[in-house]
Amino acid sequence: MIEVEQLSKVYGSTAAIQEVTFAVEPGEILGFLGPNGAGKTTTMRILTGYLPATSGTAKIAGFDVHENSMAVRQRIGYLPETPPLYPDMTVEGFLHFVARIKGVVAGDRAKQVENALTRCNLLEKRQVLIRKLSKGFKQRVGIAQAIVHDPPVIILDEPTVGLDPRQIIDVRNLIKSLAGDHTIILSTHILPEVSMTCSRVAIINRGRVVATNTPEQLMAELAGETGYELEVEGDIALAQARLAALPGVKTVEPIVDSVEGSGEPSRQKLRLSLVTGTDPGREIAAVVVNSGLGLYEMRRTRVSLEKVFLELTTEEKAIDPETMAAAYERASHRDTEPPILPISVTTDQTTDWAPDRTQSIKSDETPIEDETEASITAEQPSRPEEEP
Amino acid sequence: MQSVQILFANLMAIYRRELQSYFASPFAYVIAGVFWLLSGFFFVAILLGPEGLIAQANFRDQLGMTNPPIDVAAQFVSFFLGTLSSLALFILPVLSMGLYAEERKRGTLELLATSPLTNWIVALGKLLGALTFFVTLLLPMLIYQTIALSAANPPAPFTGLLLGHLGLILLAAAVLSLGMFVSSLTDSTILAAILTFALVLFLWVVDLVGNSLVGPVGAGLKHISLIRNYTNFAQGVFDSSSLVVFLSYVMLGLFLTAQSIEAFRFQRS
Repeated sequence: MIEVEQLSKVYGSTAAIQEVTFAVEPGEILGFLGPNGAGKTTTMRILTGYLPATSGTAKIAGFDVHENSMAVRQRIGYLPETPPLYPDMTVEGFLHFVARIKGVVAGDRAKQVENALTRCNLLEKRQVLIRKLSKGFKQRVGIAQAIVHDPPVIILDEPTVGLDPRQIIDVRNLIKSLAGDHTIILSTHILPEVSMTCSRVAIINRGRVVATNTPEQLMAELAGETGYELEVEGDIALAQARLAALPGVKTVEPIVDSVEGSGEPSRQKLRLSLVTGTDPGREIAAVVVNSGLGLYEMRRTRVSLEKVFLELTTEEKAIDPETMAAAYERASHRDTEPPILPISVTTDQTTDWAPDRTQSIKSDETPIEDETEASITAEQPSRPEEEP
Repeated sequence: MQSVQILFANLMAIYRRELQSYFASPFAYVIAGVFWLLSGFFFVAILLGPEGLIAQANFRDQLGMTNPPIDVAAQFVSFFLGTLSSLALFILPVLSMGLYAEERKRGTLELLATSPLTNWIVALGKLLGALTFFVTLLLPMLIYQTIALSAANPPAPFTGLLLGHLGLILLAAAVLSLGMFVSSLTDSTILAAILTFALVLFLWVVDLVGNSLVGPVGAGLKHISLIRNYTNFAQGVFDSSSLVVFLSYVMLGLFLTAQSIEAFRFQRS
């Protein structure tokens, strides 16, 4: 339904997106996940024909978005970041106007507007001036204008931003109810949103798609990718060699310039990455002890892309942009080949991550709890999950 | 045939929304109130005031001056239309200032630009909406003038009145079209109004510059002056070259607006 190939957009000397390639099958919901400024909006604007691409092609329902712009525009509903609303119009009047300019024939207009009002729960507000609506209702009117002409493709730019938790649930359910008949692309920077609404996820950072997969597989990969951090005293080289020989251990690296280093020169922190699906915690502890080393700390960690996700799931204002950018940087560096998961732990992982953020994501919870939990866990002290 | 129907339906959708936005806006009512107050004042002053046309005609009659005879009705129409056009110079930039600047500010331009509409249909619909609002401002004035003229003895012809108003509407269309272009260049309505006013004022008085220049440049400048072309109509003379000048301004405004919106989309970051 949607085919994007090698799409790039350059503003002057800066590239907003670079060689973005993905495809969306009919009836699918694709989630665009990435931090602000990653290129989500630019990609969506190119798809809607609002912006021309510098190079590459994008096709919607077989029509090129640039060459057949009018045909594409008839087939898409688009909710930009700020809902495009006329404050002096009533909700119903506005939807009639949109239906008209989208080319809905006169006979179907009333029915379509009614349908959009019902779907977006706006029936009681139909005669209210848009200027008098609350933010949540405005957002719903924004979604209603995107679906009023019943387009095969719906493009939603941050549809849940600025809504309260109740409204977020409503909007997510609405989006889910639209799938099947419609192909949907939505952008977000909230991970649970993706896992709850989308059938596929494209993670975009700094203008590049760094991973595409189903949310379940993504989660599975992330859940399986664990590692350990040890602080040991003694013959470090021996410990490294023995630990690396353990079945299930992929790599062993010393952590240089550790933030929480004890200052003791004889102690060293080590990071172990594990083969997916194994957890040789017991063996690791045994090796350390049997080698005559002192064990001062042993802690299970997760890979950094998950940390990035954790950052994403916390409230936007709680995120330090530089930290997130750095995390994304690492996440994108790790994929030198076509960036498809699974992800492996690489050497450029540093320890500027607070260890107390290494909690797992629980994707199957309701959105309110999800987000609050994410922000609560970020505050929790470190809690070793395995005792040596 | 069907595509023409679609274009017309699109045009009407834009036109109706634009017109509705004027009538829904308290601001537009303030404009209308001020316009009617001022034009009503000038109407009385020109016709009935102590220095007005009727007083002057009576004075001449008392002095026994009958040669040359003055056509009070025709003079009144000409004077009053002159006054209306001067008021329009201030009103029209205010009517055109929000046409695109507001859309840009609200983000609704993104809706229009991603709907199956061409830029020039949107521009034309907006222009017609603004023009229609201006015409509704003129209607009460037209009724006053019709009443005044029908009291004239000998009966005054209405063709002058109608031609004058045609000229006024053409003038308004030209100014609104240029104002719409200016509005498409900025997010700020105030800036759009000021720039439009400056541009229109320049085109208004450009024949003064033309008068002081000799040669083809001076002649050319005189031809593009808004007030000069309007004066023909206001005096009851139908001049097809003035019609062409006004229509050219309208087309120029529409063309530049469509281009500017296209350029805006291509360069924005």
